[in-house]
Amino acid sequence: MSAALNLFLNQLLNGLTIGMVYALIALGYTMVYGVIGLINFAHGEVFMVGAYLALTAIWLAASFFPGIPFGLTLLFLILFSMAGASILGALIEKIAYRPLRRSPKLTALITSIGVSFFLQNAVMLIYGSKEQSIPDIVPMTRLKIGAISVSLIQILIFSVSIGLMFFLTWFVKNTKTGKAMRAVSENPEAAQLVGISPNRIIAATFILGSALAAVGGSLFALNYGSINFHDGYLAGLKAFTAAVFGGIGSIPGAMVGGILLGVFEGLGAGYISSEWKDVFAFLLLGAVLLFKPSGIMGNNVSEKV
Amino acid sequence: MSKKAVFFLLFSSVFFFCGFEDKKETISVGAAAPLTGPQAYIGIGMMQGAQMAVEDANVKGPVFGNTKLSLVAVDDQSNPTQAVLMANKLIADPQVVGVIGHFNSSCTKPASTIYHEGRMAQITPASTNPEISRQGFDTFFRICATDDVQAPAAARFAAKELGVKKIAIIDDKTTYGVGLATVFEKEFKALGGTVLSHDGITQGEKDFAPLLAKVQSLGPELVYFGGVYPEMALLVRQAKKMGLEALWMGGDGIFDVTLIKLITPPLATGIYATMLGVDPHSIPEARDFVTRYEARYGEIGSFSAYGYEAMNVLIEAIRRAGKNDRQAVLAQIKAMKDYPGILGVINFDKNGDAIGKSVGVYKVEDGKFVFLQEAKA
Repeated sequence: MSAALNLFLNQLLNGLTIGMVYALIALGYTMVYGVIGLINFAHGEVFMVGAYLALTAIWLAASFFPGIPFGLTLLFLILFSMAGASILGALIEKIAYRPLRRSPKLTALITSIGVSFFLQNAVMLIYGSKEQSIPDIVPMTRLKIGAISVSLIQILIFSVSIGLMFFLTWFVKNTKTGKAMRAVSENPEAAQLVGISPNRIIAATFILGSALAAVGGSLFALNYGSINFHDGYLAGLKAFTAAVFGGIGSIPGAMVGGILLGVFEGLGAGYISSEWKDVFAFLLLGAVLLFKPSGIMGNNVSEKV
Repeated sequence: MSKKAVFFLLFSSVFFFCGFEDKKETISVGAAAPLTGPQAYIGIGMMQGAQMAVEDANVKGPVFGNTKLSLVAVDDQSNPTQAVLMANKLIADPQVVGVIGHFNSSCTKPASTIYHEGRMAQITPASTNPEISRQGFDTFFRICATDDVQAPAAARFAAKELGVKKIAIIDDKTTYGVGLATVFEKEFKALGGTVLSHDGITQGEKDFAPLLAKVQSLGPELVYFGGVYPEMALLVRQAKKMGLEALWMGGDGIFDVTLIKLITPPLATGIYATMLGVDPHSIPEARDFVTRYEARYGEIGSFSAYGYEAMNVLIEAIRRAGKNDRQAVLAQIKAMKDYPGILGVINFDKNGDAIGKSVGVYKVEDGKFVFLQEAKA
């Protein structure tokens, strides 16, 4: 196989890896938007807290159960991070957004920016402003698949992300809570009439979205090896772009949007210029909004007059 | 005694003691550095050095007449906007006769305009961008080597000592990073080397795999990075994981033990870095300061000795001026000849840069930066 094709496949793989993480975060944006019509700007910070929780879990595992196999540490850190972030998500919803349910949309939006600042600074005060290094718990083995070499952590990111996306699709389609979520997103008043409690469903949405972001954060931390309290900002912004790109409010849209954004960015940075990496992401968003304002998979909902 | 009476007594005693203090005149020196934000710990190290210089001067006795020296520390958060605000704050304080700072070139440059307008002397202990001293400000002084010294020294070391021919360059698009990388590129080409690529990255970004895959396909023997350690750590780590076989080198911005911690010592081994001056531990004149510093604050930071040195130059100028007058202090710094600093003799050229300042080349071994050799301009 030629070197050029080899490089292309590697770049594609790099793009897909980060795209999976974007997709996991984008799901939270899109679900919350679907249910209450709020762009939750604190969601990027939940992702960052997820990464810090993963680090904490590694510390805990190392001090309480030294020498356990890495698979168990991995399982523990993902569950720990998901649990912690879910509680955080539920708290944010309860404390910051629920009292504003009947206020104008803008109020909740600005509140979400406030929550984002609060979380960033809280993490900075707790863990310090320096970069934290993540111990290498996943072995650095590389597998050769044809001409491309994939690292174990990349395989992990793929399998966990794709697994979670299938789970989420099943959950929303088939479970009672999932059906209720779709009902609330369709028409909250009508949902209430048939006996669905919107508050409970909204809390469930926040919990689910935060747990997914936490998985994204854990995988992100393991892959890059260092985390910082301001990591949520850029990752959140990219994931938000992915959600809008895919069609905000649409779950498959967020998945496709995240993955495509990662690939687009990766190829742009690899072949054109890494200086312009962020520009590619936002250019893509601009182009999509120009030609298909509802995103690639969004529904065209006409504004009620 | 009633509560009110107790409070009254407490308050009046405060004023009583203040009255005594006031009889001694105070004169202030400013110091600006990032004390919060991502580079806070470097700025704090620099500030501690400056603090010790002020204390040392006060121990020796009044700088002139019956004055006590006090330090006005301001925090620029490594943020240019904040740096300008803080510079204006220092200018507005009539007690402040001179300032040392800032740390980041991107802060020092805009702030230098403010100090120039306020006719206040500014000595930077650490900003290495050569452009700053070329603005024609007579109020600007620098006691460290510039990137005009640092980057060519690094390029010569790479070409001659390491014998590499093909390199790739990455910078972080900041005043500091671009300046360093550009001078390095020019010098390396002048030495007959080939620069395969020169790319930029964004500070705060994490995923450099696409760029590194491209760099890997070009096959450089060495990658030079103009930037600071958090991005360097990510670059090296991701490069090693994808199997990019190349040496790594950077400037003073990557010279921090956190770099080694983030990459992990085995993977970090073999990274080269240039650092302003030689290790203060190896200079006999600096031994006293280093010992006292480490006894008080723990391990000496990369720029602590520079903070101490810059503040000492400023205090010496105030001593010679003998009055609370910015213009007089400025004139004294300009007139200073062969000042015996702890890091070497200081003479300023017409741009305000210290003459003959060298850089040291270091290599990471066993989780530490090990001093290899000194390189002059």
